[in-house]
Amino acid sequence: MIEVKELTMKYPSGKGVFDLNFTVKQGQVMGYLGPNGAGKTTTIRALLGFMNPDIGTARINGMDCWHDAPNIQKSLGYIPGEIAFPDSMNGDEFLRFMHDMRGTKDFALQKQLIEMFEFSPKGKIKKFSKGMKQKLGIVAAFMHNPDVLILDEPTSGLDPLMQNRFVELVLSEKAKGKTILMSSHMFEEVEKTCDNVLIIKDGRIVKQSDVQSLKESQRKGFVLKTTDTHRLVQMLKVSGFEVQSTADDSVEVYVSGSDIDRFIKTAAQSTIVSFSAKSQTLEDIFMQFYSGNSTTLG
Amino acid sequence: MSIPLFKTTIKNNWLLLLIFFGVLTMYMTIMISMYNPDDMQAITSMLELFPEEMMNAMGFSGAVTDLTGYLASWLYGLLMFGFPMVYCIILGNKLVAKKVDNGSMAYLLSTPASRTKIIVTQGVYALLSVVLLFAALFGVGVVTSIAMFPDLLDIGAFFKLNVLTMLINMAIIMITFFFSCLFNDTKYSLGFGAGFPILFLLMNMLGGASDKLEILKKLSIYGLQDPVELVHDKDALGLDLFFAGIIALLFLASVLVFRRKRLPL
Repeated sequence: MIEVKELTMKYPSGKGVFDLNFTVKQGQVMGYLGPNGAGKTTTIRALLGFMNPDIGTARINGMDCWHDAPNIQKSLGYIPGEIAFPDSMNGDEFLRFMHDMRGTKDFALQKQLIEMFEFSPKGKIKKFSKGMKQKLGIVAAFMHNPDVLILDEPTSGLDPLMQNRFVELVLSEKAKGKTILMSSHMFEEVEKTCDNVLIIKDGRIVKQSDVQSLKESQRKGFVLKTTDTHRLVQMLKVSGFEVQSTADDSVEVYVSGSDIDRFIKTAAQSTIVSFSAKSQTLEDIFMQFYSGNSTTLG
Repeated sequence: MSIPLFKTTIKNNWLLLLIFFGVLTMYMTIMISMYNPDDMQAITSMLELFPEEMMNAMGFSGAVTDLTGYLASWLYGLLMFGFPMVYCIILGNKLVAKKVDNGSMAYLLSTPASRTKIIVTQGVYALLSVVLLFAALFGVGVVTSIAMFPDLLDIGAFFKLNVLTMLINMAIIMITFFFSCLFNDTKYSLGFGAGFPILFLLMNMLGGASDKLEILKKLSIYGLQDPVELVHDKDALGLDLFFAGIIALLFLASVLVFRRKRLPL
């Protein structure tokens, strides 16, 4: 369980994170999203105990992230956003070293993960490609079977096949009851794995919601074609619907979930030639938060 | 202390130690072989070719004629500080600040090892490597002297000289180590970690060159002792304890600053 309360952490530059409040419960996957420089990594620094908060607390499994960091690490798996391995080590040496540092002796999971990601940890890490380093980071984060996982852009550098494997891994860990916080820019990955999302912008949380209701709360777009475009537009406008770009002869209408019935009944008064729904993906929703139009959204 | 980290630190740094040991061994054997017990005149007349201030700055003294005094003056006046200083600067920076700067410290801290444990392990390696370096050099000095000039080396005095020189160098590595723990950026860690020891060495040399500037020598960590006086019956226990105190204080300060600071990992 991860609990962040009123967390404020300021850098000398004035940037930082301000008054963050969120909880990731056991068995939950929380997606942590936001544009570059929004404060995702800063939050993670507080959770890992690399930085102490100015105000507020961050707790993992009931322990304070700053004071009890070594104890927390026993049951924590972490993938850094910018992975840097100790220089001049071999891949398998590094995994061995992490086992030694953690005092763990069970290599079964490590072997399983290496097979899952079709990875060979032989050879100097320095010579590894970006994707191979990422795989090494994934194996190191999951191989001691931690209860809590903090993953900072875990699939960057992985090919699509391996990204899917990673999604499978996260889902199976979630099924085992792990607590997972995952920052990501891959919307598909978030949609597939996360129950909840947290969107941060300029150091403040702008949206906290479960994925399902986030999708439902969004207005849906419909494209209509009719014999009398002018009349339809008039009718919809009078009823208070948002009508947009009437390029060629079609009409685009945006309707929020609860208004669908009223919308269809209104539109049905004219002769409809064609009717199609414009599907809005989670990506569209996030993009609106990213670009700063968050005020117009639920 | 974290044993796995200690092992890894040894593995990553033994070569650096070996290189410095090799260079210093070479100097030491050459210096011993240049000693001529019957004719110190040769070296003294060579000295006269150079300005006296320059010789004093280097800590060289033509007045001594015994082998132990000769080594104290020619080897332990400057070389045994200058070369190990470079070692201390490189190693001190590498043990902590470099790992924070390149981000690999994140992996050490994402294990159950506490910050204190990590810094203590790295600091113990730093100190032990200097101890090992001087123990080995002491051995080389004794063996070479006995092989070339049996009975001429005052082993007791030479030991006393090596202990104090070792402690001074341990204090130097703790200075570089402290800055390595204090700064997150190798630019500053190296700047301060190299700046202070170099400044001390220059102060020691300038203070030696001129009587007017003698105060500089007294203020330098290197100038608190005179190696030639030391081997000629001067007690060093007080100074030994003084440097041991400085080492302990700097080590403690290193751990404390690292425990409290924010790491941009």
